[in-house]
Amino acid sequence: MSIKPIESYVEQDFDRGFYPEGDDLQKFVDRRNRNGRIWYLIFIASTIVAIMALTALLYTIVRDSFGYIVIQNTVDPETLVRDVEQARMLAAPNTVSSEDDTELVEGIEDNPYAIGYFGYAYYANNQDILKAVPVNGAAPSAETARSGAYPYTRPLYIYSAPEVMQAKSNVSDFINFYLANAETVMAEVGYFPANQEAFQQARETWLEVNNLNTSMALPAVDPAEVPDQGVITISGSSTVYPVTRQIALKFRQAGYPGGLKVEQVGTTAGFEQFCAKDGIDIVDASNPAGRTQFDACAKAHRELREFTVGTDALAIAVSQKNDFLKNVTVDQLREIFTSYERWSEVDPAYPDEPIQRFIPGTDSGTLSFFADTTFSRGLAELPAEDLIAILELHLTPGRLNALNAENPLAEQTQEELLRLVQQEVVKPRVVMSYNLVESIFGREAVYAHAETVPNGFVEFYSWLNLNFLTSPQSSVPEYAGVNTAIWGSLWVIFITIIVALPIGVGAAIYLEEYATMVTNPTLRRFNAIIQTNINNLAGVPSIIYGLLGLAVFVRALEIITSGTAFGAADPTTANGRTVLSAGLTMALLILPLIIINAQEAIRAVPQSLRQAGMGLGATRWQTIWSHVLPNAIPGILTGNILAVSRAVGETAPLVVIGASTFITVNPTSPFSKFTTLPIQIYQWTARPQAEFQHIAAAAIIVLLVLLLSLNAAAVLLRNKYSKRLA
Amino acid sequence: MAVDTSASSAVSTITLPDIGTQLRKQPRFGEMIIEGLLFLSGAISILVTIGIVVVLFEEALKFFARPEVTLLDFFLTGTWQPAIGQFGIWSLVNATLVVSLIAMLVALPIGLMVAIFLSEYASARFRGILKPILEVLAGIPTVVFGYFALTFVTPILRGLVGDNTVQIYNTASAGIVVGILIVPLVASMAEDALHAVPRALREGAYGLGATKLETAVRIVLPAAASGVAAAFIVAISRAVGETMVVAIAAGAGPRPAPFINPFNSAETMTGHMVRISGGDLSYDSVDYESIFAIGLMLFFMTLALNIISYYVVKRFREVYE
Repeated sequence: MSIKPIESYVEQDFDRGFYPEGDDLQKFVDRRNRNGRIWYLIFIASTIVAIMALTALLYTIVRDSFGYIVIQNTVDPETLVRDVEQARMLAAPNTVSSEDDTELVEGIEDNPYAIGYFGYAYYANNQDILKAVPVNGAAPSAETARSGAYPYTRPLYIYSAPEVMQAKSNVSDFINFYLANAETVMAEVGYFPANQEAFQQARETWLEVNNLNTSMALPAVDPAEVPDQGVITISGSSTVYPVTRQIALKFRQAGYPGGLKVEQVGTTAGFEQFCAKDGIDIVDASNPAGRTQFDACAKAHRELREFTVGTDALAIAVSQKNDFLKNVTVDQLREIFTSYERWSEVDPAYPDEPIQRFIPGTDSGTLSFFADTTFSRGLAELPAEDLIAILELHLTPGRLNALNAENPLAEQTQEELLRLVQQEVVKPRVVMSYNLVESIFGREAVYAHAETVPNGFVEFYSWLNLNFLTSPQSSVPEYAGVNTAIWGSLWVIFITIIVALPIGVGAAIYLEEYATMVTNPTLRRFNAIIQTNINNLAGVPSIIYGLLGLAVFVRALEIITSGTAFGAADPTTANGRTVLSAGLTMALLILPLIIINAQEAIRAVPQSLRQAGMGLGATRWQTIWSHVLPNAIPGILTGNILAVSRAVGETAPLVVIGASTFITVNPTSPFSKFTTLPIQIYQWTARPQAEFQHIAAAAIIVLLVLLLSLNAAAVLLRNKYSKRLA
Repeated sequence: MAVDTSASSAVSTITLPDIGTQLRKQPRFGEMIIEGLLFLSGAISILVTIGIVVVLFEEALKFFARPEVTLLDFFLTGTWQPAIGQFGIWSLVNATLVVSLIAMLVALPIGLMVAIFLSEYASARFRGILKPILEVLAGIPTVVFGYFALTFVTPILRGLVGDNTVQIYNTASAGIVVGILIVPLVASMAEDALHAVPRALREGAYGLGATKLETAVRIVLPAAASGVAAAFIVAISRAVGETMVVAIAAGAGPRPAPFINPFNSAETMTGHMVRISGGDLSYDSVDYESIFAIGLMLFFMTLALNIISYYVVKRFREVYE
């Protein structure tokens, strides 16, 4: 009955006397109201801060679970396809492969069923005895090459660097001369002129390097006026070589006094020479420079500049006597040179004669040019036998045997084989990953960053996916999953429930129904201690329970918890760090919660129900069993589910009793080693790599969904329960 | 059911005049067994407590019996370096205190203000929305908060204060997040206490001309002081025992005490226990025994706090009828 305290509190306000009067009173009231409003805002702000904390938490998890990733293939799948089909082309029957083009021409010349391909320049020299077949409806010509209608074309380039061109103006002048004469010389040698836009780009590049306005025409160059600033050294592709040589000859004939050195070593070697210390001045190239070349040259302080100078083309040639082949498609060519044996397979209208194939030698650029264009299918389009061929080509015999033993390759479907090729050969690896915010607001930066990764490509990825749910743990984050952890959590929870539920409810019944009736003073005291003790246990940090479990279940009772006592495990390897130990530890941990919750539920059952039972002559247990428990069960279950969800999320005690950190086998019995979801989250969060942060976030979503379903179940039960009472 | 059949057979055999005496004298073995089992269930909780105390003491005693460990150094020095035989618990306690202090600076004001708002200002409908949200917050596993500390709070702190000042693993971030994690606990316990203050007191204050704020802060809050204080103490105990957030975000490696800079990494008692036992800990090693000694210390710290809170509630509670 304390009314007194209020008086003493209110008194303070009146210490200074009575209420002020007039304006002072108004000010006094205003001040108090203002204070009220300010603090009201502060209270609301605090509440909003608390809600925002929850929002920020969810935001972080969602942010980290999705986003762009940059994947890098260990082996480029396009190269794989190309290599396997090229191998099939070389191995096809009735195939003559020769480095000597004359041999090929002679073979095709008189045979109407023969087919072959050459560089267009070579075909142009033999136009009288051979016939070029249009591909996809386009015959090889300057026009179709320029428009891109004819597929077997590739640009030819020369490369230099501003550093070189500015140091040696004769190099710059030579390139100018080259660009001015490229078109005529290309035609002379048997190539096609460059694509108009690319050629214009080359001219602009030259102007830019020479600090001239890029909209003007190239200044005319007189070789006789060009100063000799040392020998101009040029090397690289053998395809470009004849053009460069021709232009160099013209340059000197026009009066250039200095030296010129032109060599053919191949495109790749040409770039290496250019990027070496004191390298050559110009590279002839039949393939564009890649990121590696740009990087290597940048290291040598040479910034590569590309000049497109012409277009090379392949001619698909047949004999003049061939009167049926009017047109082929690239797909037909692929089959003609790899798998078809007779012309009738290409088209039933063609003669039923064997195909005679004439192809250049493997050392020639022409063969790889043909292969690059023809064999450009995706990995997924390959038939099963090609996929098997890829596996046989790239895997060690031991690995192949292992795979065959698991599931014979020949019996697998194309899809299964494709997955195998992906996993075993292509081996995509996530090399960079971005969170959702970076992905949405920094898309350009992500793509720009990905450009620097050789063989890399960008993909929007959800770290939470079906594979993540069904895969076991792995040391590679993108392959790792939570399957083992989910099963571990379920096993631990199962044991926790079957241990803690009966004991907890039993204790609650005792404390609520029996302890209150006890007359013996000692027992009364003891019961009071039990009650206090339970309240205290609820406040013990969970890690202490871990220590208890470690010392008692894992160590002292090892023979039981490891399963050796029941012959369920091998005594030499088994130890007590099992599902059973974890479940028992968790049971002790949530026991106080279950007891307290169950006590409340039992206490809520109206006394009249018990009295009714007793009045009918039921014993105490009969009353409890038939009257109290049925009414308390929903409440008990609600409390139990909440206690269990606490156990689902507990981490520290399980770390202490020694959950396995890396395990890929699902638990099968109470004596299995295990890991749980929170343990996985902890392990992955502790890793420094960003990818592990992402899978930790994904695992958190799984855990939260599990907990949310548990809580939803509790809420449903609670609702049902309150309806019953109403 | 065994009990039912035995009871009904007993009824059928007795004669009417003796029914009272017969029933009284009838020993009900089934009932007694059940009562015994239920009593045992209750007594298991005592066993758990005894188990905890015995286990902690047993291993801690082994730890202190080691030649390299002395009780004096344990309690009076501030360097924890098992590798060189230095076992000064203050290194770990200091970190725990720094984290708990920061956590309290976050949790107590926010928690109390949320409680006041919920109890005194919020409409019934708003409270109906907000309380479940707080419950959800309270139900999120602490390992998730650890993740939150490391990937959200730490980068923000580093952005605000500077990368050079704030280490990746730091006690400030861990402390703030432990605070956030405790807010629902403080709010809900304090709200219960405030809500229990009878309406008559508030009406009385209004009748005397007090504003809502004055009523809440000067009338209701003092009347609920014991409950609010108990909430605070339980919150401290929770912060001291909190494990996963500090294990993830506060850093690995004990820092020699005394230190106060919250932007440095430091290992707390719980953080150290988790890290040491993370690997396969071999029994009877110094590390194995040392975590029990730390556990014992932690157990007593939290026990003391819990007992104080219990005492505060009991001693200072205002009883209204």
